[in-house]
Amino acid sequence: MSKDRERARFTRRLTAWVDGEREPKDQTLFVMEQHPPRHVRQSEEEFQRREEDRLRKFFNWYPIAAAVICAVLVAILLTTVMSMPGFGEEDNPINNEVSDRYLEYGAEDTGSENVVTAMIIGYRGFDTLGESCVLFLAVAAVMILLLRDRKNTSELEVRQIERDEAEAMSHEDLILKQVAWVLIPFIFLFAIYVLLNGETSPGGGFSGGTILGAGLILFSAAFGFRRMQVLMNRRRYSAVRTFGLLLYGVLYGLYIFIGANGLPNYLTGMILLIDLAVGLVVACTMYGFYALFSRGEI
Amino acid sequence: MIVLEYILLIGVIVCAVAAPLCKRLLASVIVYMALSLLMAVLWSLLQSPDLAITEAAVGAGVTSILFFLTLKKIRELKGTDDE
Repeated sequence: MSKDRERARFTRRLTAWVDGEREPKDQTLFVMEQHPPRHVRQSEEEFQRREEDRLRKFFNWYPIAAAVICAVLVAILLTTVMSMPGFGEEDNPINNEVSDRYLEYGAEDTGSENVVTAMIIGYRGFDTLGESCVLFLAVAAVMILLLRDRKNTSELEVRQIERDEAEAMSHEDLILKQVAWVLIPFIFLFAIYVLLNGETSPGGGFSGGTILGAGLILFSAAFGFRRMQVLMNRRRYSAVRTFGLLLYGVLYGLYIFIGANGLPNYLTGMILLIDLAVGLVVACTMYGFYALFSRGEI
Repeated sequence: MIVLEYILLIGVIVCAVAAPLCKRLLASVIVYMALSLLMAVLWSLLQSPDLAITEAAVGAGVTSILFFLTLKKIRELKGTDDE
């Protein structure tokens, strides 16, 4: 009985903490300026003087410490680079049977002419699944920190945002708008081209998705948040993001179980779909970062 | 080609040294953006166009935009209305 209540209290406290209603316990670590308790505090001037002294000492030592750390780091890195084998030499350890195999059978195994895509999506697809999850989680973490809702926005902030928006509306940036008007179709076209041609030419999911995300960012910056919401609101954004990751998981699962190790390869067109899935996740990540950083909403 | 590579490498080093030494944060970000662009050209000279595309889009594009937004949030964009 008491255990249940304990757990309920813990859940409530956790929710309150996530919502920002309750501060974490120990904050003294993060406070730069530490006032001593009142009864032993010296006079205000004394305190000021000590503080200034402390700061001066800090700023005297800071460049020296920075230079020393930099020099040590540069020395370590240079020594490492010196001891590495030369670039592009034949008997380097990277020229082994693994890369031979990739280069020779890559197109046959995965159906992708571009060896980089064959590696990223085919042979090392599990890595890419992890990377997509990292991107997904990164946006989730930024959302936890920056997403605004009723609970963590004061009226002052709301008014500030409204004022900023009104100002942005009254000073329309003509150059940005016209350039965006001309450029955005080409950017989207290029993004789709790079996405769809990951098999045969440089590009693929990551680069195409990034270009797509950059196009979305340009659109949002030039034509305003309201018009962007016609294209992409929060529900649609979450749906696309989750769909991308799920599609990747399902397709790659299929890819592993049906296409691996000597079984006949039925799945030549799969690379294209997986590339699309990765592209969706990456594009959503890029745009999500921008939207959350700039306005705190999507 | 090799001359171009050396010029680009020198440019990368100059940018890398200049970025933390700039007095204004905005200038730092722009120098950092230039470094990414030079790196993108270098990648394509080193025959890795995949990396070049991603570097140009992420390093020069999206990262810089995030930096600019952060500068705007902390009111560090000098010479604009925020000042």
